[in-house]
Amino acid sequence: MSRPDRREHGQIRALNCVLGQLSRTDGSAQFSSGSTSLLCGVYGPIEARLFEEKIDRAHVDVRLRPDIGLPTTKDKWAESAVRKTFERNILSHLHPRTLIQINLQVKEGDGGVDAAAINATSLALVDAGIPLKTMVAAACCAVRADGEIVADPTEEEARDALSIHTFAFSSTSPDDNPVYVDSRGSFTMEQYDKCYDLCAMTVQRILAFMRTAIEGK
Amino acid sequence: MVAEIPPSSIEAAFVLEALQKGVRVDGRGLYDYRALRISCGPALGMVEVQLGQTRVLARVSCEVTRPAPERPTEGIVQFGCELGSLAAPGLDSGPRASAQEVSVSRMVERIIRQSRAIDTEALCIMAGEQVWTVRIDLHFLDHAGNLVDAAAVAAIAALRHFRRPDVTVDGETAIIHDPRDRNPVPLSIHHTPVCVSFAFLGANGQLVVLDPALLEEQTQTAAFTVTLNAHREICALNKAGGVSLDAEQISRCTQVAVTKAEELINAINKALVQ
Repeated sequence: MSRPDRREHGQIRALNCVLGQLSRTDGSAQFSSGSTSLLCGVYGPIEARLFEEKIDRAHVDVRLRPDIGLPTTKDKWAESAVRKTFERNILSHLHPRTLIQINLQVKEGDGGVDAAAINATSLALVDAGIPLKTMVAAACCAVRADGEIVADPTEEEARDALSIHTFAFSSTSPDDNPVYVDSRGSFTMEQYDKCYDLCAMTVQRILAFMRTAIEGK
Repeated sequence: MVAEIPPSSIEAAFVLEALQKGVRVDGRGLYDYRALRISCGPALGMVEVQLGQTRVLARVSCEVTRPAPERPTEGIVQFGCELGSLAAPGLDSGPRASAQEVSVSRMVERIIRQSRAIDTEALCIMAGEQVWTVRIDLHFLDHAGNLVDAAAVAAIAALRHFRRPDVTVDGETAIIHDPRDRNPVPLSIHHTPVCVSFAFLGANGQLVVLDPALLEEQTQTAAFTVTLNAHREICALNKAGGVSLDAEQISRCTQVAVTKAEELINAINKALVQ
């Protein structure tokens, strides 16, 4: 069964990114995967509020705003996806008692928002010059009702899917464990392994894309 | 989250001194707008406006709801306007909206709602039962001065760009057509209101500039916004707080605003055609 936009099962949508567009932030990146587009602006290291100040590391704060309507739990989940991915990846011990504030704005949301948020943040952190352990990229895939596994599902495909998986990997080694995993729905371990492999492969391509984008800055 | 650092006294003095010689910090003329770029789409009702470095994104969406009981034949227009920490450091520091956010969002809401730009009667599907609720979400991406003008252009352009699903009313039932089966239809927009903002600097507000950039806005002593449409009609005037201004200054600015509003509306029309 073909996909609504006639892509191959393993084919992701066209990637696009623009770095350093915003004038007030320390670093910014706009990342789009087809019709899912997010803008990330990073301030940091900046002064932290007293109650969130940590004596030995920087505090990482993530805020995500949806394109339409007020923020819901879905957006809170995306915030936590980004925070969990980068809390350990940012070298926060180099900037104790400061705040690294990551602001995300969904410009267009059409499936794979969590993964796109992680990708946009990765690029924005590099643009801001925040020290990181590694580059991180994320990819999303879904298991359709007919058992086929499709990469980078649209909102429509995600709605009808039996399960959705988001993986984030770091750039140091493809054999490393993923940095972030979010699998939801009902699936077999065999399907999970296939999704893992598909996302790992996709992430490598996204990392290569990011590298080209940063080098071309 | 760092508090917004006000400009240093040297910067503020420089802005004033330069203006006294008729020169603006970024080299513009006193009544010149910054470069305006309006990008529409790809989604329907999605418009991003860049006015110099200031960036605003508008998204329009709609859904079918019950009408308000006191207005059974009119649709509903909702606004969502958040000036968050993405736009500038130090914003969004509490659960309550900041004064600036409230003032910008009230301004845009006023020009769209109170100037009756949208025909709310045309949003009615079945009186007393079903109407369209049109929602306009404004996202401030970059605050580099004069958010109001950029936001107003984004909001009205997005409303004109938006298409809602087509509806057929068959006696007692209303059929809402999927956009893939029947082309969605535009909203009924009566006119295109835009805002033209001025900043007054100096102790008595004697120096005036159009479309203040961030530094000019931070050192202004008064501000004035005129809302106009293409028929040279004034929809709203807003001068809230700041030093007292001469009536003559106000009327001169309004004259300038008429020409400038035409420029803005032409830019919107051009962007929507593409």
